[in-house]
Amino acid sequence: MVVLSAARWVRSRLSDRFWRVQEVLKYARHFRGRKNRCYKLAVRSVRRAFVRSTKARREKKRFLRALWITRIEAASLEHGLKYPAFIGNLLKSQVELNRKVLADLAIYEPKTFKSLAALAQRRRQEGFLAALGDGKEPEGIFSRVVHHH
Amino acid sequence: VAKTSLTSPPWPEVPKLPDPVEEAKYHAEVVQKVNGLISAGQYGRLFAVVHFASKQWKVTSEDLIMMDNVLEAECGDRIRLEKVLLVGADDFTLVGRPLLGKDLVRVEATVIEKTESWPKIHMRFRKKHNYQRKRIIMNPQTVLRINTIEIYPCLS
Repeated sequence: MVVLSAARWVRSRLSDRFWRVQEVLKYARHFRGRKNRCYKLAVRSVRRAFVRSTKARREKKRFLRALWITRIEAASLEHGLKYPAFIGNLLKSQVELNRKVLADLAIYEPKTFKSLAALAQRRRQEGFLAALGDGKEPEGIFSRVVHHH
Repeated sequence: VAKTSLTSPPWPEVPKLPDPVEEAKYHAEVVQKVNGLISAGQYGRLFAVVHFASKQWKVTSEDLIMMDNVLEAECGDRIRLEKVLLVGADDFTLVGRPLLGKDLVRVEATVIEKTESWPKIHMRFRKKHNYQRKRIIMNPQTVLRINTIEIYPCLS
């Protein structure tokens, strides 16, 4: 006889349940407690871990920038300058180094950082004289703007 | 006359700047000295700060750089990195405002590897609304090795 539809007592059953469960548990093996063994608890923990890692990727950038700023502040205070003065005067003298590189220089190239601090200090004093003098006094050398064409 | 709180202004005394003529002589001397050092080759390892792939890198010779994007160059191609912001050795540094001239520094690199990053998981979840999306992101990455950094004595 020709059977056009499968008999009703034949169901399609999962054969790779083990591997589907392992796919989730492999991310939970280093967790604490029963959530590293039991699937039901692990699913929730793994989902939260994924969501937290996604959000942390965005916050890592903020965190690293704050770290660099702290390091640059510490290094510039060693040379007698505060962080806003240092960064502001560096930008005014057209030196566009970002905070990551400045922090690396402060750690590994102390002489270079000292020279940058001296540059910022000199530009700061020229700024003060330009603001206070306001006369026919000679403009500072480091305040001259370089024009590129 | 007795000193009151209003005799001197509240901001600290600014020291006078040195004489501009003397300053110019001193600057010319320093520039000549540095030129002499460069042409004599009396510097050890050079480091440079390079702006590349919208990021700034502090770079020396024979070190590796990995960027999170595709470079239109085959593996093994030699590349010259322009946009150098800073070059330094043990005794002197050359700071660009903001860039240094192309006839002053030359940074060469070779493309070593072009791969994808490890599979990062991007997961969104909203509780009590039966909403979760999972996506696996693999960014293309390029690895460069910086071969040499050279400076030429053309300061003025």
